[in-house]
Amino acid sequence: MSADISYEFAFGTYEDAARMVGTRTEPRVAGSAVSAARIQHFASMVRDSNPAYWSSEFAQRVWGGIVAPPALLVGLLMPPPWMPDGGPPTASIAVRVPLPGTAIINASNEAEYLMPVLEGDMLSVVEEVVSVSTEKTTRLGAGHFIETSETYYRGDGAVVATCTNTLFRYTPGGDQ
Amino acid sequence: MTWDDVIVPAQLPEVVDQISYERVVMNAATTWDYVPWHYDPEYAKGHGHPTIFVNTMHLAGFVDRIATDFGGPGSRVVRRRVSLLGSIYAGDAMVARGRVVGKRMDTAGKTPRYLVDLEVAIFNQRDELCCPAEVTVELPAA
Repeated sequence: MSADISYEFAFGTYEDAARMVGTRTEPRVAGSAVSAARIQHFASMVRDSNPAYWSSEFAQRVWGGIVAPPALLVGLLMPPPWMPDGGPPTASIAVRVPLPGTAIINASNEAEYLMPVLEGDMLSVVEEVVSVSTEKTTRLGAGHFIETSETYYRGDGAVVATCTNTLFRYTPGGDQ
Repeated sequence: MTWDDVIVPAQLPEVVDQISYERVVMNAATTWDYVPWHYDPEYAKGHGHPTIFVNTMHLAGFVDRIATDFGGPGSRVVRRRVSLLGSIYAGDAMVARGRVVGKRMDTAGKTPRYLVDLEVAIFNQRDELCCPAEVTVELPAA
């Protein structure tokens, strides 16, 4: 048996999943503006000394403000793990695709960063289910690859980044 | 560094980063990615992993660090592709080996962009390839 799933997976058959291909979400808006605190906490975790993340003077002069590390973009749109209204955080559309698997792991990710994201930007994201594979067996277990795309917007409507992600939704080998 | 300065091909220096439990937990905290296998070793073991592991954002952030350390403070990551072949677990090392594979001028937009293509591969301390990546940085022209 797997441990409890604390993130809300949708369960169903491959046919249920295939019907979700082409589904686009409503824009999901970040709860707060991009902050230097989150930027520097992430840069500290990665140990990245890029002055675009650390020096207000440099970042303002070269980029127009403190820059968000491109790799943090997905995190900037993550809902907080608890909300005062009591509802579960809205998970990425990839885990809401109904399938039998009880676990997920990322397989690949391709992102294009059209312009820098800066401290103070209000971001939103629209996600789309691009494809769902038939059942495949990997070293982790049997499951399906789910390809999704994300388009990231700034508050003024400018597209700042586009991204394609492939995730493997599977049942661990030991569970079968 | 400017685009004119870039020599193709070239090797980048190897970078080794030890990933402690603290770093993996910090990874969950900084990215707000609280899927339990990023902070709970028992949960990770229940899902076929030896212990907790870093998420894609940490791997991508490490690739970007390599890329902009090469390109200098005037450079910016404009594209990155990562493939996740294996996980980096708490207690592992991330070892990045990179090379410069191309430079090109992109004239598709209003102003030309001066781009450099890198390949960066992240191995663990057992020399197992965990995350091959392609990354493109934009540099000042000259």
